Amino acid sequence: MKIKTLSRSVDEYTRERSQDLQRVFHNFDPSLRPMEKAVEYKRALTAAKLEKIFARPFVGAMDGHRDGVSCMAKNPNYLKGIFSASMDGDIRLWDISSRRTVCQFPGHQGAVRGLTVSTDGNVLVSCGTDCTVRLWKVPRPTLEDSSVSSENFIEPAAEYVWKNAFWAVDHQFEGELFATAGAQLEIWNHNRASPVQSFQWGTDSVISVRFNPGEPDILATSASDRSITIYDLRMSSAARRIIMMTKTNSIAWNPMEPMNLTAANEDGSCYSFDGRKMDEAKCVHKDHVSAVMDIDFSPTGREFVTGSYDRSVRIFPYNGGHSREIYHTKRMQRVFCVKYSCDATYVLSGSDDTNLRLWKAKASEQLGVILPREQKKHEYNEAVKNRYKHLPEVKRIVRHRHLPKPIYKALGIIRTVNDSKRRKEDRRRAHSAPGTIVTKPLRQRRIIKEVE
Amino acid sequence: MVGEKRRSTSKNLAKNKKRKGPHLPNSILKTIANEKRPLNSDEEDDEIDSDDANVDLYEYEEGVPEEESRKNNRYDPVVNYDYELPEDFEDENVESDDDDEGGNSDNEEGEGDVVRHTRMLQAVTGMPSAAFDGESKRKPVLFTEAYPESEFNPTRDVLEGKGLLTIDDFMAPIEGKPGFNDLQKRISRMQKDTQAVVHAPLPKPERERLERKAVKGLVDKEFNKWVHMVKRNREAPTVYFNQNVSLGYSTVGAIASEFQPRTDFEKKMASVLNDNELGEAHDEDGAKLLELNEVSVEDHIKYRDHIAKMRSLLFRHELKSKRIKKIKSKTYHRLKGKDLKKSAMGALMDPEMAKEEAMKQEARRVEERMTLKHKNTGKWAKRMISRGLNVKYDGTRAAISEQLQINATLSRKMNSTNDGSSSDESDDEEELNDGSDQDTPSKLIAKAREKTLKTVEDDEVPNSGLLSLPFMARAMKKKNEEAIEEAKRALEEYEEWENSGGEENSKKTADVSGRRVFGATAKVEAPKESRKDSDNFYDNSDSDNDMEGIENNDLRAVRDTASPVRNTGAITETEFDDDIENPASKTTFDVALFASGSWKKMKGCQNAETKKKTKKHVPYSKSQDKKESRDEESEDSESEAEQMVDGILTSASKETYEIPSQAELIQRAFAGDDVVDEFEKEKQEVLNQEVPEPEKPVLVPGWGQWTNIQKKRGLPSWMVREHEDAKKKRTLDLKTRKDARLRHVIISEKVDKKAEKLHTTTLPFPYTSKEVFEHSMRMPIGPEFNPATIVGSLNRPEVVKKAGVIIKPLKFEEANPNEKVDDEHPRSNQKQNPKKGGKTGKGQRKGKSKQKTKA
Repeated sequence: MKIKTLSRSVDEYTRERSQDLQRVFHNFDPSLRPMEKAVEYKRALTAAKLEKIFARPFVGAMDGHRDGVSCMAKNPNYLKGIFSASMDGDIRLWDISSRRTVCQFPGHQGAVRGLTVSTDGNVLVSCGTDCTVRLWKVPRPTLEDSSVSSENFIEPAAEYVWKNAFWAVDHQFEGELFATAGAQLEIWNHNRASPVQSFQWGTDSVISVRFNPGEPDILATSASDRSITIYDLRMSSAARRIIMMTKTNSIAWNPMEPMNLTAANEDGSCYSFDGRKMDEAKCVHKDHVSAVMDIDFSPTGREFVTGSYDRSVRIFPYNGGHSREIYHTKRMQRVFCVKYSCDATYVLSGSDDTNLRLWKAKASEQLGVILPREQKKHEYNEAVKNRYKHLPEVKRIVRHRHLPKPIYKALGIIRTVNDSKRRKEDRRRAHSAPGTIVTKPLRQRRIIKEVE
Repeated sequence: MVGEKRRSTSKNLAKNKKRKGPHLPNSILKTIANEKRPLNSDEEDDEIDSDDANVDLYEYEEGVPEEESRKNNRYDPVVNYDYELPEDFEDENVESDDDDEGGNSDNEEGEGDVVRHTRMLQAVTGMPSAAFDGESKRKPVLFTEAYPESEFNPTRDVLEGKGLLTIDDFMAPIEGKPGFNDLQKRISRMQKDTQAVVHAPLPKPERERLERKAVKGLVDKEFNKWVHMVKRNREAPTVYFNQNVSLGYSTVGAIASEFQPRTDFEKKMASVLNDNELGEAHDEDGAKLLELNEVSVEDHIKYRDHIAKMRSLLFRHELKSKRIKKIKSKTYHRLKGKDLKKSAMGALMDPEMAKEEAMKQEARRVEERMTLKHKNTGKWAKRMISRGLNVKYDGTRAAISEQLQINATLSRKMNSTNDGSSSDESDDEEELNDGSDQDTPSKLIAKAREKTLKTVEDDEVPNSGLLSLPFMARAMKKKNEEAIEEAKRALEEYEEWENSGGEENSKKTADVSGRRVFGATAKVEAPKESRKDSDNFYDNSDSDNDMEGIENNDLRAVRDTASPVRNTGAITETEFDDDIENPASKTTFDVALFASGSWKKMKGCQNAETKKKTKKHVPYSKSQDKKESRDEESEDSESEAEQMVDGILTSASKETYEIPSQAELIQRAFAGDDVVDEFEKEKQEVLNQEVPEPEKPVLVPGWGQWTNIQKKRGLPSWMVREHEDAKKKRTLDLKTRKDARLRHVIISEKVDKKAEKLHTTTLPFPYTSKEVFEHSMRMPIGPEFNPATIVGSLNRPEVVKKAGVIIKPLKFEEANPNEKVDDEHPRSNQKQNPKKGGKTGKGQRKGKSKQKTKA
């Protein structure tokens, strides 16, 4: 015989500690909860609104330079350290947490155009328009240092003079080499006064260089002849080159996908390429209204940050056509350099107004220690929002951004231009024999050709 | 140009070679130089030839012309650089320049030309005609060059690879001269030794292009080895970073374990905490620790005294109650009972008292009903009402309402005591029963008991006839058992009634009065019937009653009176007697009853009902003489059934009936409802709702009507026009509706704006079908709707990372499809796919042997 009784075991209801939560039992029968979908939709809406409310991305500005910040470098071994250099030859090491200068590296006569740090975080390499490459020993971060010494000057460990001015420098990942870009691409060793290797393909000067973090011997450069080139150091030869319609200002490799790189183009778009198939971009990231000056990938490989000449910083998903976020302030001028912090939580931008700015990568993220319950709540909110992101109301709220007036207007103009172009194209196609007018897809449109 | 070359010495030549020529081995260079020197000194013609040979050597070293290098795209790309003559080539040059020699189309003439040409060559070069034979045959045409021959504009012969000079050509003039044989030998040796010959390297751009091609392949290969990791990362619903990085202590315990006492206080504390004696004491006997926990003497004494006092009180109370229990005096108990009665509790507890109370109440109620004392019938009340004073003064009104209240309470109290009494008659009857003979029910029960005993005896006796057959006996036995079972239940029920208070009894009596009697009787019948079969159980029940205390006989009597009343409306003794007189028939009936089962019972009920209708004046008790009633009922039912059959038969036989047509039938069946009309109305309603009729223009009274003129004019023209426009629009809208021509269909074109918010206009990007998209949102993910074990995995974000930990770039791992997923990421196993299922199974697998390559 079956007897139905209520049975409650003490164990199930006893808490281990007084701070523990009382266990709550739910009946998960869906027929008892007919409104669950409606409830979750409402929650998604609320989460989207809350996200807007809590969106305060700007953490702080770091001022100290006397000229526009031309380039930055993050210390791959030390989270709080960030190096920046300005157009007047000033190089500084900043402590992000206190947002103060830790020390300075004086010496450059002209603008510093390139900064990079070795993977172990001990050597800083700088180069500039004064035709010199300087190596500096990075001071070890100590607790006392960050508070006291704002006037701490450091002498260069080595100074190599070369034939031409430099535009960029990048250090090999976990290696001894670094590459400079100038009249040609040159590979240097820490201990040699002259480059160990030199590459030239064509006569135009190279304007940016970036080593592949996954494959330490592969690097990509962009040159003023609108080309993007991939080199392999082991074979001491170039591998691929494409010519685009406009110049590429900067390149970033995806740290989690070593074959993929994204190029920041002068035309305001970024182009993601597969290093194996350069004749077509994998993705075109549009949103900036002016030249994209710098780009840096998040260490997670899921996002990258771009700084643009239109005075804004944007964050794109690695596979998305449009930006997830735009950061701007009234005082921020042309952005020359951006960096994603090594823990993928912050974004740094250096601009013409001599300031470095620190932003949160997720505008509404709660910083600091988060309790597990809070964490769960955040995760749930994210998940719900993500689930209902396609519904019009949620979408509208999530997408909404306030833009500076110039950008807003420029966007309008660009849209108008594109529309009229498309209209013209359509009409032309309509009035010509079928098949005679072939339109290239957007991903190929800006690529002229791949050079053998 | 030629002259220039002629002047250039062989040294110069060698120098040139060194500067930009191909790296020829020294031996060859030497031999060439050696050969050149004598030639150079000898003859002009040979010099030219040698120069030609030089040109031949320079061909490659010269480099690709600009057109070919494609630098800066200044020149159009040429697919085939070498100029080739088509098969059917006819050169206009021949016609234009070599007119004197005739057209080459004419073969015979051409032959003559050839002969003449060789002759000329012979004359010029002084070589035998055989040397020109093959060439002339193959190449019957002559090209003239547009530009003077130079290293940038070589002769066509050179370009085509025909008419090249060989070493033999050089050797021919010096044949027979001293050292010729020696030279001949060396040359032949050189020609044999093919390995020593080094071909000229490709031009630099060409070489670089090839190099790049190779590098490209290698780089691609290098990139390809990452594909499996990238794929795995991309397909994973969640990517984890730095899960195995320890950020330091995570628990309080861990921090505490590392604690070192530094200050004096801390040290003292540590010494106490780490004291071994203390620990031992605690482990061995916790009571030792209590020694420290002292209580003051006064407190202890106080507490002890209090306990002692309470105990003594309890003991005295016990003694007293024992003594009282021993008292046998009836008067004492009666007085005690009276006391109890006085208290409200007693009234509630004792059913007898409750009954008395009810009686009193009843009396009061009767009085109230007779006098209507409190229903504003009093002189004062009448006056007050007639003068309307009750409205005027609050006090009066309150008094009157109070009176009414009293009336209501009096009557209501009555109702509550016998709740549900439908008629006064039943009440009266009850009263009658109660008043006239309280003993009859108990008597009846006793009789019934006797009867049942008898019947049981009878049942047991049947030794002959059908019933003596073994299977019949078995069946009987079985049925007896069933009956016993039923009796048991009935007894229990009965006991319940007995145990419950008198009030409840009265309630039940009331419950069963009237029509519902029959439902209830059906219930009660069985136990009563079975009782005669199973006196054992009856006895049992009796004993139970004894156990509970038989002393309150009166109570039982009351209950017993109630029970018959419960069963029927009234009881007449005569019928009882009748029943008692013929028990034999009952037994037989019993058998029939058992055989027929519940159907009969139901029938009985129905019949009883009919009976009730027919002979209202002859009530009978079912409780006492089931069998009688049964008999009658069964008879009745039979007769009725017969009648029924008769009725059907007659109806079938007598009537001449024409079968109506189908349509007629339908029409008749749905005579009342006009479906079509209704639908049309409905449709019209929907139309009106969705395309509402425009409101008729109305002049607002008072507006614009202060003169007569305006009144005459009527509505302003614009209003009328607007109204007409709106009407036209409506008709148009109605016509353009989808269901405009479908008479039997309503297609709603109403758009719910609120609902629209919950739909996407288009299918979102990653989804390919509507179903999949909807499916993705089907299950809720919240903690309220899912067990705690899966909520985490349902809500996990795409990237899980720790703030403040540096994320290193991807490290290469070999793909190893045979190995299972390792536990590098503790949560990765759980995560495996709330959404994707086993889709990414292979991609998820991870090599345990991580090979960190740094190529």
